[in-house]
Amino acid sequence: MNLEKLFNPKSIAVIGASRDKKSVGYGILKNLKCGGFFKCRFNRPFRGKIFAVNPNAKKILGFQCYGKVTDIPFDVDLAIICVPSKIVKKVAYDCVEKEVGSVIIISAGFSETGKAGRELEEEIISLFKKKKIPVLGPNCLGLIRPSSNLNATFSRTMPPKGHVSFITQSGALADSVIDWAIVNDYGFSNIVSCGNQAYIEIHHLVQWAAKDKETKAIALYIESLKDGRKFVECVKKINKPIVVLKAGKTFTGKKAVSSHTGSLAGDYDVYKAAFKQFGIIEVETIDELFDIAKVVAEQPKCKNEIAIVTNGGGCGVVAADHCAKLGVNLVELKEKTIKKLDESGEMHPAYSKRNPLDLIGDALPKRYEVAINTLLSEEYIHGLIVIQTLQTMTDSLGDAKVIVKAKKRFKEKPIICAFLGGKFTEKGVAYLKRNNVPVYDNLKKAVMAISALIELNNRN
Amino acid sequence: MILNFEDTKRLIESYNIKFCKTEFAKDKKGIIHAAKKIGFPVVLKIVSQKIVHKTDFGGVKLNLKNENELIEAYNEILKSISKRLIDGFLVQKMLEGVELIIGAKQDEQFGPIVLFGAGGIFVELIKDFSIRIAPINKNEAMKMIKEIKSYPILRGARKGIYVDIEKLAKIISSVSKLICENEIRELDLNPIIANGENIVVVDARVIV
Repeated sequence: MNLEKLFNPKSIAVIGASRDKKSVGYGILKNLKCGGFFKCRFNRPFRGKIFAVNPNAKKILGFQCYGKVTDIPFDVDLAIICVPSKIVKKVAYDCVEKEVGSVIIISAGFSETGKAGRELEEEIISLFKKKKIPVLGPNCLGLIRPSSNLNATFSRTMPPKGHVSFITQSGALADSVIDWAIVNDYGFSNIVSCGNQAYIEIHHLVQWAAKDKETKAIALYIESLKDGRKFVECVKKINKPIVVLKAGKTFTGKKAVSSHTGSLAGDYDVYKAAFKQFGIIEVETIDELFDIAKVVAEQPKCKNEIAIVTNGGGCGVVAADHCAKLGVNLVELKEKTIKKLDESGEMHPAYSKRNPLDLIGDALPKRYEVAINTLLSEEYIHGLIVIQTLQTMTDSLGDAKVIVKAKKRFKEKPIICAFLGGKFTEKGVAYLKRNNVPVYDNLKKAVMAISALIELNNRN
Repeated sequence: MILNFEDTKRLIESYNIKFCKTEFAKDKKGIIHAAKKIGFPVVLKIVSQKIVHKTDFGGVKLNLKNENELIEAYNEILKSISKRLIDGFLVQKMLEGVELIIGAKQDEQFGPIVLFGAGGIFVELIKDFSIRIAPINKNEAMKMIKEIKSYPILRGARKGIYVDIEKLAKIISSVSKLICENEIRELDLNPIIANGENIVVVDARVIV
């Protein structure tokens, strides 16, 4: 399915544009015009043509209104439909007649409401299918593509530009994610709400994102796939990392079970197995979905041979416990490595001499630097977790600087940081983030991040 | 509908999967004859369209060493299960080994899938299994085998029974093809008794 006109339109018609500031039709028009409803430094106005369609208004937000989409004297690449569900069919006929390039149906009141809604949805979609006009929705938020200055949704603002495509079955979730992304400076290449998946299904969107130059990782929020088989067939051919949060894990047990296999392999068990079989990284929470998606988008994948560097013994042990639980292999440090560390003259006499490598609380940036460079120079160590706790002499920003330097030197090996603290780690954390080094205030998250990079490497 | 015993056995054997030496019998005379043909010790099981968990109803009697024990087992079964639930009896060779399950079904979302796990009557309690979308090759089947918690048991942990996992992987892969190539809704090979390279289906249930 060709979704080029949906994601990179040059002209857009908003069918159901409205003067009512509380309406969806107004919100979408304003988002196209300004990039966002509310002021935000990431908002960018759409640079192509925008047409408002409303038979009862002359002008909305400065746009001249057309009575019907067919009255527009230009080609329409994307028609966004946000009229009440009972009028959608009529509008759909117009869109087909106009031969628009693609459609988003924002309107709700279709298959999600029951039998009558489903029939109406099928009827409308069949009109578009005949003409091969791809349709996103119905019952969705729309889509945002920051790199094309496209905010075809009724979200409050635009998120920062980045490399993660977020495809979600929940539109409402997307709105809050955008707000969170602004505060955390988390970038997206696309945010797509798929709604009822009446025509464009999740696997079509995944396929598109896989070819999208802006996208380096795909984050999925799934409640249920329409066709799991097609989904896995499509995922098989993709080599961009995919991270998924599957909602609705409880076995519903609708049918009487007549075999052991039927009783063991519940709906979610099969989802879980499919994710694993086809190299999709599954996460448990929304936080994890975005943390992991960012890491796999930006960091090199690595073999399961990891070392930990820390200035706090306890934290090293906690991290090692998390590693054991997630199957992250902490390598045994070889004698030659210990010798190099000893000979550097920078180590504390009581440093641990094993993995996790405890540099002792008074470690300054120089000691971190020697330890990090020594470990990453070893061919048997493929990734590093660097933990920093805060003592009086700890130089958080200085530590961050040596880490960034090492990242530039060892491009093929990921460094994941856990800077524990808050106020006094702020500058170091900001420096790491600016330089694309993953940093968490949480040991488990750091271990999960490296574990995802290992999982990616194991994918066949 | 549950496929009858003969067709089930034929289907499984057509995929080069070994089925335990089994004789079907309708009555007491029949089972004695069957047991003699197979050779003691034997297992006696009811055949029933209506009962999934035969053991729960006292419908499976193991390790019967001679004719007396066989007749006694037969009488006990009839005491605990109404005759109209029983379609007949199976007499099988008594085998020793690790009990495993290989299953398959049509999943609503993903279509044919295959399952492998620690088997036997406690399969639903132990819940030690792995799943794949079918069909799969031998390598993927190997991963399924290594994924379950009981894997060390198959490698002869604590001087136990050693299972030929290469051969086991081939069987799992065959079952994954079987579910793709036939109009079957659900399939249980449970238990499969594995001992060295002897990997034998002892009981099977195919729902079409």
